[in-house]
Amino acid sequence: MIIRVQPGLGVPIYLQIESQVKHAIAAGALKLDDALPSVRKLAAELRINPNTVARAYQNLERDGILRTVPGGGCYVNSQSPGLLKSEKLRRLRPIALQLAVEAKQLRLTRAELLLLLENSYDNLESQ
Amino acid sequence: MTESTRNDLAIETHALHKHYGDIRAVDGLEMHVPRGAVYGFLGRNGAGKTTTIRVLTGLARADGGDMRVLGLDPRTDSVAILQRTGLVIEKMLIPSMTGNDLVRFNRGFFPRWSDAHAKKYAEVLELDMRRKFKKLSTGNRTKLCLLLAMSQGAELVVLDEPTAGLDPVVTDQLLRVMVEDFTNEGRTLFLSSHHLSEVERIAEWVGIIDHGKLLLEGRLEDMRANFRRVRVVGEALPLAARPEIVSANTGEGTTEYVLRSDADAFTAQLISQGTTVLDVTPLNLSEIFLEVVGTGSISNRNARHVIMDPAAEAGSMQL
Repeated sequence: MIIRVQPGLGVPIYLQIESQVKHAIAAGALKLDDALPSVRKLAAELRINPNTVARAYQNLERDGILRTVPGGGCYVNSQSPGLLKSEKLRRLRPIALQLAVEAKQLRLTRAELLLLLENSYDNLESQ
Repeated sequence: MTESTRNDLAIETHALHKHYGDIRAVDGLEMHVPRGAVYGFLGRNGAGKTTTIRVLTGLARADGGDMRVLGLDPRTDSVAILQRTGLVIEKMLIPSMTGNDLVRFNRGFFPRWSDAHAKKYAEVLELDMRRKFKKLSTGNRTKLCLLLAMSQGAELVVLDEPTAGLDPVVTDQLLRVMVEDFTNEGRTLFLSSHHLSEVERIAEWVGIIDHGKLLLEGRLEDMRANFRRVRVVGEALPLAARPEIVSANTGEGTTEYVLRSDADAFTAQLISQGTTVLDVTPLNLSEIFLEVVGTGSISNRNARHVIMDPAAEAGSMQL
């Protein structure tokens, strides 16, 4: 898997790495038990601080998306993070709110917004 | 400050001053460089970067304030600091020596000198070690200084404008080497620069100096996560005096705020007051730098630009 970061984007680099790994897993480019490059290797490749890579990996591990074997690298975990439903909802709520605000400002109807969301969900499932 | 926190810092300054006649080159600098960090020391030309480095290594004498480098005072322990600090400036080098001569000459001074690293850096930086220093181009002189500083095995490496005069390919290789060799084993890498895109990649900590004062210091990821540009409809400045506002510009029917923190609460309040928020965008290091040194973005040069925070004027402010 090829990870690319753009330091000039303003989005923290660790978030860029996290979202690319999540996206690669959702799209099937990374599968269960696939190995990720080590922190030091990825940092050297991307010319970024290793702590930035470590932070991204730690967050992904905390979310159950990756698992690290001490001294043995970092692997893709099972695809459904074992979080409580309430926790999953808590994480998505700000994004949902933002989506609702944007839709309202653009004067999109409730039905149009839901259709948009359904389409995005279907696109991921069909991959 | 207690002894234990002091040990966590490779460099620490308090109210540091250095004057040249009427010019306050370093003017009350408050800086904290954690051990083991890559620290980007950022400032415009003449902001006081090089003077600060000279004072910290005892090459110039401070006119006031306190400082500690690796726990030592540069005013009394300059030799010990230079022995443990990788710092090489052109004036230290003998012009008639070749790169290889300089490696042999420097090796004896530093107990942790590495010939293997010197060889590796000569290859990475594409440097001809058989040429005399005085015959080298500006870029190659910079490379030789870097090679000598980085091969010392020092626990603190101070590089002043390391990428000045280097081409993009060599710069990219230098960044790789810095990540590979200087981000482990608790080594501290202190870089002064105004090449913000390079610093943005490898620095974990950033300090922004202007007119001899540190205006902003903190973890780069925190700055990136917290700084936001908020554009709203209207020129009435509905929320003017709040500490998180770095600047506010109005013009052409909109107001643009730059916030150092709490953008979510800020926009929520604007929306609850009936203000239309156009967008909320993050800032990259270059944009943060322009905001903090107070020039603002070019497109707003004719607009009203107000620095809201008196703390930014008074001295350093920690994130």
